[in-house]
Amino acid sequence: MKMTAASRPSTPIGSAAGAPGKAAVMKQTPSLVQRWRGAGNLVPALLFLGLFFLAPLIGLLLRGVLEPEPGLGNYQQLFANSAYARVLLNTFSVAGLVTLFSLLLGFPLAWAITLVPRGWGRWILSIVLLSMWTSLLARTYSWLVLLQASGVINKALMAMGIIDQPLEMVHNLTGVVIGMSYIMIPFIVLPLQATMQAIDPMILQAGSICGASPWTNFFRVFLPLCRPGLFSGGLMVFVMSLGYYVTPALLGGAQNMMLPEFIIQQVQSFLNWGLASAGAALLIVITLVLFYFYLKLQPESPVGASNAR
Amino acid sequence: MVLNKGATAILFAGLLATVSHAAIAAESVNFVSWGGSTQDAQKQAWADPFSKASGITVVQDGPTDYGKLKAMVESGNVQWDVVDVEADFALRAAAEGLLEPLDFTAIQRDKIDPRFVSDYGVGSFFFSFVLGYNEGKLGAAKPQDWSALFDTKTYPGKRALYKWPSPGVLELALLADGVPADKLYPLDLDRAFKKLDTIKKDIVWWGGGAQSQQLLASGEVSMGQFWNGRIHALQEDGAPVGVSWKQNLVMADILVVPKGTKNKAAAMKFLASASSAKGQADFSNLTAYAPVNVDSVARLDSVLAPNLPTAYAKDQITLDFAYWAKNGSAIATRWNEWLVK
Repeated sequence: MKMTAASRPSTPIGSAAGAPGKAAVMKQTPSLVQRWRGAGNLVPALLFLGLFFLAPLIGLLLRGVLEPEPGLGNYQQLFANSAYARVLLNTFSVAGLVTLFSLLLGFPLAWAITLVPRGWGRWILSIVLLSMWTSLLARTYSWLVLLQASGVINKALMAMGIIDQPLEMVHNLTGVVIGMSYIMIPFIVLPLQATMQAIDPMILQAGSICGASPWTNFFRVFLPLCRPGLFSGGLMVFVMSLGYYVTPALLGGAQNMMLPEFIIQQVQSFLNWGLASAGAALLIVITLVLFYFYLKLQPESPVGASNAR
Repeated sequence: MVLNKGATAILFAGLLATVSHAAIAAESVNFVSWGGSTQDAQKQAWADPFSKASGITVVQDGPTDYGKLKAMVESGNVQWDVVDVEADFALRAAAEGLLEPLDFTAIQRDKIDPRFVSDYGVGSFFFSFVLGYNEGKLGAAKPQDWSALFDTKTYPGKRALYKWPSPGVLELALLADGVPADKLYPLDLDRAFKKLDTIKKDIVWWGGGAQSQQLLASGEVSMGQFWNGRIHALQEDGAPVGVSWKQNLVMADILVVPKGTKNKAAAMKFLASASSAKGQADFSNLTAYAPVNVDSVARLDSVLAPNLPTAYAKDQITLDFAYWAKNGSAIATRWNEWLVK
C-alpha cells in the first residue's frame, strides 16, 4: 500500500516533464518514469510471491547450510560422493534427451497445425491440449500397458514375427525418455505454433523467388524465424524435466535415479532435510544459470517485429 | 476500504470463534493412513465402532507423509492426531522427538506382541514379505526360498523387488547367500550388494502395492518379493500366482501420535480401541494382514487364517526395525551408490 501511494504522485511529475518545449528532458526522464509508472500495481503480486514463494525458498536454502549442523557439510557430501554425481548426470542426460526428442516430434506437429486449414488446425491443437489435461498418472500407466514385455507393442511385434524376444522398453532409460517426451510435447507445440503462426508466409515465398531451394529456404529462412519458439519451448521442457518425478518413478528403473527422486527419498524416508535442501538448491541454481543463458542467447524476436507492423 | 477491512476482520473473528467452538463441543481425532483398501478397512474395523461407542468423531485423512508430519511438529501446527507409519520410521521419529509417548494406562501393552510396541508407538498391523511367483511363467518349477530369486537358470524371468532402501531386500539377499537368520544383523552390506549384483540386470523395482501386483499378474516378472496381503488378493482374483512362506520377513505398520497434538486424550482412547483384540481381529479379517494383539488370533476367520503371517511363525524372520531406524540413512547412501553404479 505504501509503495502505491509513493509511486502515484510521481506520475504527474512525469507528465509535467513531458510538457512542450523541454525536448531534451522529455527524451530521457519521462521514459524512465513511464517505465515505472505501473509499479504500484505490482505490489499485490510481489507481496504474494515474497510471502509464499521467496520466504519459504530462502528457508529451504538456509536449511541446506544449517542442518544438521551449520556449514557446507551437505554440499560436500553431495559433491564428494560419486553416486550423487552420477544422479546429477542422469538428471541432465534424461532432461537433454527428452528435450531433443520432444523438439524433434513437436516441430513437425506445430508446423502441421500451422499449415492445415484453420478448422483442422484448431482440432489438432485441441487434441494436444486434451492430452495435456488428462491425469498424468493415467497417461503414465497407459505407457506401461503399451511398453511392458507383455504389453501391446511387444505382443504385436512378436505376433508379426518381427522379434522373438520382447524388447525392453520400460523400467529403464528408454521408458523414461519415451514417456516424458510424450508428456512434454504440448509444451513445445504451444510456443512453437504461436511463433510459426506469426511468420508471414510471404517471407518464404520471397525466399524461393530469390532462388532459394526448398532446403535452403527451410534452414536459412524458416528455422531461424522459429528460433524464439524453439528456445522458449526447449528451455521450458528442459527445466521441467529436471524436476520431474512421477514418470521416472513409474517408467524408469531405480538405476536411472534422477535428482527429484533422490530429494524425495531424503525428505520422506530419512527426514534428512539438510541434504535434500542442498539437492534442491542445486536444481534451482542450475535452472537460474540456464535461464541466464536463455536471456543472453534469445535473439531479437521476429514475432514482436511482425506484430509491430 | 477501512470499513471493508473492519467488516472482514469481524467476519473472520466470528468464523474463528465458531470453528474453535465446534472443536470444543465435539471431541474428534484426525486419523491418517495410506489410503486405499487398507484405510477403508481401518475405518470399518476401528473408526466406525469407536465413534459409535465413545461419541468421538474420527476424521479420515491421508496419505501418510513423513515430511509433512515433521513439518507439522516443527511448526507447532499439528493437524494429525494418529498416524499409521512404517515400523522403522516410528522408531526414527521417536528418536528425533517428533512423537508423544503413549498412555499405557489406556492401551493394554501386555496384550500386544512385544515386537510391535514401544513407548512411542503401538502396532497397527504386521505383514510379511513373501516369495511370490507367476505359475504361468515358471511352469512346474516351484521356488522354495529366497535363493530361488538368484537362480536365473532354473527360474528364468525378471524379479520384482521393493524399491526403497528399507528393511527387506538386503536381508533376503544375505539369507539367499547362506547367512543364518540369527546372524543377519549387523547387515554385511558388501556381501548383500555383491549377491544382488548377480541379478541386478534382472530386477524390476516396485514402489507400491498396486504396481507389484500388476508386475506379477501380467507376467512382466516371473517372481519376486511381495507383501503377503497383495499376493492373497491376487489369488482371490484367480490369478495364477503361487507363494512360498519360507523365510517370510516380518515388517509392521505402527500407529503413532505426533508431538503437540491437540486431541491427545481422544487419540489415546482411539489407539486403545484399535489395538484391542476385537479391533485387530476385525481389521485382519478384512485385509489378510496380521493382528498385533495376541488375543486376536482366536478370533480370526478360519478360512483366512492359513493365509496370514500368524500361521507361518515357524519360518518367520522379524526384520530389525531398531537397526534400520539407526542405520537407515547410512545404508541408503550405500544403496544409492550401488544402484546408480
